[in-house]
Amino acid sequence: MYKNIFKYDDMKRSEHMAVRTTVGWYFWTHQLLEISGPDVTAFLDYMYPNDITSLAVGRDRYTTMLDEQGEIIDDVVIMRMDKERYWVSTLYATKTDDWWYFHQGNFNVEWREITDEWEMYAVQGPKSRDLVESLVRDSVSNLKFFAHMDTEIDQMPCLINRSGFSGEKFGYEIYIHPENRDALEALIKPAAEKLGGKEVTEFQVMAWTLPTEANYYYMRDLAHTNPFETGLDKNINWKKEFIGKEALLEIREEGPTREMLGFEVPEPDIYIRSKQYGGPGEPVYLSGEEIGRVSKLVYSYMKDVNIGYILAQKGKLHVGDHIQIHGYEAVITEKNWMN
Amino acid sequence: MGKKIDERIPQNSGEGANFKNYYGIRSPWNKIYSYQEALHYASRFESVLSAATIQALRIIVPDYEERAQMMCEEAFERLYTTGKYYGDDDGFGIHPFMCGQYAGALIGDKGDDALLMCGRCQDFGTYRAEKELDVCDWDICGSELCRTTTMSLQGQAKASAERRRKGPEIDYMMVEAKGCGDRHCRIIAESREKYPALPHKLWESFGPAVTDDMKKYTEEKDCIDESMMFREECNYHFVNGTNNETDSSNQMINMSTGASLYILPAIAETVKRGYVTRHQADHILKCVLEAAGKAMFGERYAIKACRDWLGVPSSFGEDARVMGALIEMLLQSLVCEYDVESFNKDEVVLIIERSGLEITATKDMPEIHLWMWQGMVKTLVNAQWSLWEEKSPERKMRIKIAKKIDKFM
Repeated sequence: MYKNIFKYDDMKRSEHMAVRTTVGWYFWTHQLLEISGPDVTAFLDYMYPNDITSLAVGRDRYTTMLDEQGEIIDDVVIMRMDKERYWVSTLYATKTDDWWYFHQGNFNVEWREITDEWEMYAVQGPKSRDLVESLVRDSVSNLKFFAHMDTEIDQMPCLINRSGFSGEKFGYEIYIHPENRDALEALIKPAAEKLGGKEVTEFQVMAWTLPTEANYYYMRDLAHTNPFETGLDKNINWKKEFIGKEALLEIREEGPTREMLGFEVPEPDIYIRSKQYGGPGEPVYLSGEEIGRVSKLVYSYMKDVNIGYILAQKGKLHVGDHIQIHGYEAVITEKNWMN
Repeated sequence: MGKKIDERIPQNSGEGANFKNYYGIRSPWNKIYSYQEALHYASRFESVLSAATIQALRIIVPDYEERAQMMCEEAFERLYTTGKYYGDDDGFGIHPFMCGQYAGALIGDKGDDALLMCGRCQDFGTYRAEKELDVCDWDICGSELCRTTTMSLQGQAKASAERRRKGPEIDYMMVEAKGCGDRHCRIIAESREKYPALPHKLWESFGPAVTDDMKKYTEEKDCIDESMMFREECNYHFVNGTNNETDSSNQMINMSTGASLYILPAIAETVKRGYVTRHQADHILKCVLEAAGKAMFGERYAIKACRDWLGVPSSFGEDARVMGALIEMLLQSLVCEYDVESFNKDEVVLIIERSGLEITATKDMPEIHLWMWQGMVKTLVNAQWSLWEEKSPERKMRIKIAKKIDKFM
């Protein structure tokens, strides 16, 4: 009963492990907003809590976006393309567009959605550099993490961004115009196979199992949380003004009431509801007391065990604690299953 | 009989008394029901109306397979076409990298919750998705409707997938259906590339699923009876897992019903295919709906309960105001605008915005209601009373409830 939808699925396992052991590539187009203007750096610096002013041209930065209550309403990667031009990669473009509009005020900026102009392919895994090197005109060997460069693949203009959502040390994103999509795929596929890699086709692998195993969040995990609860407060620039700062300062003063923790469920074939499918998530009990809810439940192919995140009352749980979730025994762990 | 409006509690009663404003419905005698209660009421009433409507379709096309196949074809094509031209991927949380038809499940997931068909998504992946419902107000309409809704989802999923990079095709099946007596409705969607099975006709959308051993069956004790948008534990928000959030102001009952979205279009299709003429179809619909309306208050206790629900004063006898008030409650629940032209012991005249009753832009929905109400008045009040349309202004339906003798009734 409740046959595990991950554990016995050879397709998911092979796609996941291709990324971990060789290279996996996948169509990973996000929504993309291009924003520019004389005030663009100041505007983004106000919209996002992490420092944007120090972001160099050609580099990227991850940051949350907060509302006035300090709740996370989006998390994005900001890429500085020129002195006064940035790309913002999001899965929330429509709402981001509104949010920017309502907060633009006197900032001299303009933006447009360019999602339809660029397709993005993720190339992730230990052999991803080899794969990308075999395709591009200019070497990417000196490209640092969260840095991007323009080059060509078989005379097709492209942008290579060293980044990823898999937790791999080596991972790249190839941005290419849509009309060149098929041609690029025709090149990537055999090149990956030559390295023992393959295409990742399963949404659950690219968005859930790979990132979760590496302590990354995906969308819903962060909704209605603040950066202190999710451990995303470390790179906040407290010296500047940004939306949500006032609320965050209060939270910092009083201390967050919740925290995101890792957990494992040793029993393989389980039924535990989690927020990643919508809904409130399964209640988590410690000695009969409800102390949190399950945010995410996936599977670690590296550890061969059910893993996930719970959002629990702060300070109630520690690594190694045993908890009960829908009648199943679970154990609190660190949020990283890569090693 | 003049256009006299007897004493009623004014709709702005409470203003200036520091009562908080909130959306609700109110009977002429100040029985107040919450927005939430109103939605539930409207949902179930429209389901009863839909259940009657499908009986007309069953008369027109007696063979189950033939009828179900026709309904599925019609719904699939229509929802595929509208999905192609009016798609809202952002609104459903469908991201650009979601290749294939599985993302269509997000459309169904959101629609379920908005229609108070609460449950939970159990799996959502490129090759398999599973959704389990605990509640479905449409569960009395017949299993053909269950099959049809599934194929409408198939059509929407196909349309949605065509807007993005090609991905796996998915076979949507309702492997359990409350309309068939199952505890849950359960949609399992499988890629035949990964989970091979023999092809089937559109109407055979009930499975079995290849991945039956993966399904997660929710026990009775864990079942729910409210949509996410009405549950505190969900912060009164529907969330589909891809950060699509909808709050409790979402109003779907007047956007989709079984009759408006599936059954009446199917009856229109029977006319198109030559089973009956439009006149014959309307005649059958009228007969069935009047009978269904009469059956609603055939028992005295049903009348008593309805009067109590409306707050009808005990001094009131059997007159038009009881029926008029009940119609007003439905119209308010559907957020359908109307004016009260008269409301007294001799007659009630309501002028209703047709567009408010034309749910999902189905033009004959006002008449469907009219025929049902005509049956209801016969038992809720008594057989001396009738309900009919007369002197309607353009785009409005002016209904009159009064005593009437008709030797051909």
